[in-house]
Amino acid sequence: MDFVLMSVGTNLLQGLLLLILAPLFGGIINKVKARMQKRQGASVFQEYFDLWKWWRKPSILTPYTGKVFVLAPIIYFVTAFMAAMMVPGLLKTGFSYGDAFIFVYIMALGRFFLTLSSMDAATAFGGMGGSREIYISVLVEPAVMLAILINSLRYGSTTLANMVIDYNSFYFTVPAVLTAFAFFLVIVAENGRLPVDNPDTHLELTMIEECMTLEYSGRLLTFIHLGTMLKLLVFLVLFGSLYLPIDIPVLLKALMGAVLIGVVETLNNKMRLFKVRIFLSAAVLLLAVAVIAQ
Amino acid sequence: MNKFLSGGVMLTVKPEELRGRANIISDGGRHALTAMFGRDETNNGGGYAVFAVFENPEKHAFDTVKAVFDPEGELSYPSLTKIIPGAVWYEREINDMFGIVPEGHPDLRSLVLHESFPEGYHPLRKSVSKTQQVRGQREFPIAAAKGEGLFQVPVGPIHAGIIEPGHFRFSQAGESMLQLDAKLFFTHRGIEKSMEGMNPQRALPMAERVCGACSIANTWSFCQAVEKICGVKVPKRAEIIRTLLSEIERITNHVGDIGNIPAGVGFQPAISLGARLKEALMRLQERIAGNRFLRGMIVPGGVAMDITPELAQDILTLIDKTENGVNDMAVLFAQQENFQNRINTTGVVRLQTAKDLAMVGVGARASGYAHDSRKDFDYGVYSSLDFKVRTQTSGDVAARLKQRFDELEESFAMVRQLTEMLKENGGELIAPVEYKAGEAYGISESARGSNLWYVALDEAGAIDRVFIRSASYPNWPALTIAVQGDIIPDFPLINKSFELCYACIDR
Repeated sequence: MDFVLMSVGTNLLQGLLLLILAPLFGGIINKVKARMQKRQGASVFQEYFDLWKWWRKPSILTPYTGKVFVLAPIIYFVTAFMAAMMVPGLLKTGFSYGDAFIFVYIMALGRFFLTLSSMDAATAFGGMGGSREIYISVLVEPAVMLAILINSLRYGSTTLANMVIDYNSFYFTVPAVLTAFAFFLVIVAENGRLPVDNPDTHLELTMIEECMTLEYSGRLLTFIHLGTMLKLLVFLVLFGSLYLPIDIPVLLKALMGAVLIGVVETLNNKMRLFKVRIFLSAAVLLLAVAVIAQ
Repeated sequence: MNKFLSGGVMLTVKPEELRGRANIISDGGRHALTAMFGRDETNNGGGYAVFAVFENPEKHAFDTVKAVFDPEGELSYPSLTKIIPGAVWYEREINDMFGIVPEGHPDLRSLVLHESFPEGYHPLRKSVSKTQQVRGQREFPIAAAKGEGLFQVPVGPIHAGIIEPGHFRFSQAGESMLQLDAKLFFTHRGIEKSMEGMNPQRALPMAERVCGACSIANTWSFCQAVEKICGVKVPKRAEIIRTLLSEIERITNHVGDIGNIPAGVGFQPAISLGARLKEALMRLQERIAGNRFLRGMIVPGGVAMDITPELAQDILTLIDKTENGVNDMAVLFAQQENFQNRINTTGVVRLQTAKDLAMVGVGARASGYAHDSRKDFDYGVYSSLDFKVRTQTSGDVAARLKQRFDELEESFAMVRQLTEMLKENGGELIAPVEYKAGEAYGISESARGSNLWYVALDEAGAIDRVFIRSASYPNWPALTIAVQGDIIPDFPLINKSFELCYACIDR
């Protein structure tokens, strides 16, 4: 019993740690982008200030929205937090209840509610954002499942903790490299980064995630933004612990991933919306090759 | 004196003859409709008048048909829109501002006056005082497609970026744009009305401020018209400086626009490079004129300040730097396959559409419509400069982007020629101007296309009527056609490739 409590406590601790670090990673990505564009850029702590600013403001609700509009940001945030508690490779002693399928579909649950809320206010933008988000998530899902399948084939388990790269037995193989590359593409698509979505755009017509959350303000917006940042960090940690075959601490690997995202976002522009399927097909194809080569 | 200001035909006809005459004068639509506007001549013992102005590039002149209306009689005439589609917005505006109805107009909704204006209010009539405040209610329907599964997306007038106000209504079938209607004129300033009764010197600062981006072009057109009325011969050196300023303004705008197009797709390095190049040019403009928009340089009769040899040298140095930067930008675009993918075949305007709507400037030339007032009308010192009117054929975003690069190439060469000419031509900067009665046109090519001004002065030398048609006016309707069939996430990109000005039409 004590052991279980301690393990749950460790997982909680891990979730909190990632929660505290998430805005910093967002800030680092922005800083990398700014420096690469020869701008000074905002401080890496800017995201904390922004979150604090929104937290202090009241949320404005239109009279046309229902309960789901208020619940969705909280569910979205909680699912991201649960994922953060599950993600393996960070604290070694955690209670290993994190099944890969549960992980993926907890994330999907958050997305489902966010999409619901986007339609709740019945604005044209929200509906468009929701439809785009579903279109992309349909394409992302097979890629994520394949990526997980590859590691579960190699390690013979679908428990996330068992799928962490074991450096005692790891050696560079074609599937490992392909999977790492493909999973990075998945992170880009799943987290609404360029070239799939533009996270810092002001162009309401082209956005995906921002389009869904246009109606939110104040504290509810804080939940969404924090959830989004946390989700990105969780994916980066997962990328580090499961796929990036370098023997350094996982957080450092996540940091490398963040810098990489900054670089990719600077070098790319947003692609045509209907070309996203080609982008994700490439990821699926790479993963399919990796599965065969496994 | 420039030929084009005096060489054209001016026909005065009865209202019912307007359409027939316009058809003949326009050579069956071959000569583009430059503008249509109304005028209230009741103070001078006349009636209301509707002018239809066509450009005649062979004669470098404007041909005008003027229909005169009895204010007590029926204020209507057969609409030109059916034979000359480019008349569509002008006729709606005349209907709003003067209450002169184009019979048989296919889409006679309000254009300028929004729903908060009362019915029967026609502000450009002389009987309406400048200071009159009105509030009322009228219909302002917005065009939208209706049907099973279609929906509308309203955007604006307040936008997420810091831009001017405009409301766009998209009729969507999923992501595809079926139809777009633009509701503009939110910040109409009544400049044309305010200028009435002013002395041209007093009106000059307002002319400069019609638009921040084409301040030189507007001022130059205005001054041309005034100079033509007053019979002033502008000194050669002043003409050279005006031409030089105009090209510097064009370079600044084109560089800024090229740097702004990638913002439609979030292509950051190009945006940063474009912003840096533009800022250097804005600072050059500040050095030249003491302000960042080249205001206060062009005045009736000439120019207010000289360009010293040292300044000319600095201009050349910066032009060289800008040219390098622009070449870097071209390489950046060419290497970015993903960017090329976005701009090719997006937002196509066909040549026939460009001709029908009498488009001007970059938008027209990118569709292969070779139409440039620097060649069509012989003004400034353009006739002694060596330059070509460049055109593209595909009419898409890529063509409009390429067109700007091509025009920049020509403008860089022109600035170099002009600074040489400055060395050889000394002398006066300004000729004395004595205001007298008369009416005339002025035209100059801004970065976005031709800016036409019509100015009429009364016996006291004060402005009786001024009509401003900036380059954006004829191109706005083209934008709504260019987007059809593309998907809505492409709209910001298409919009930026036109870079149309709201202030220019909110005059």
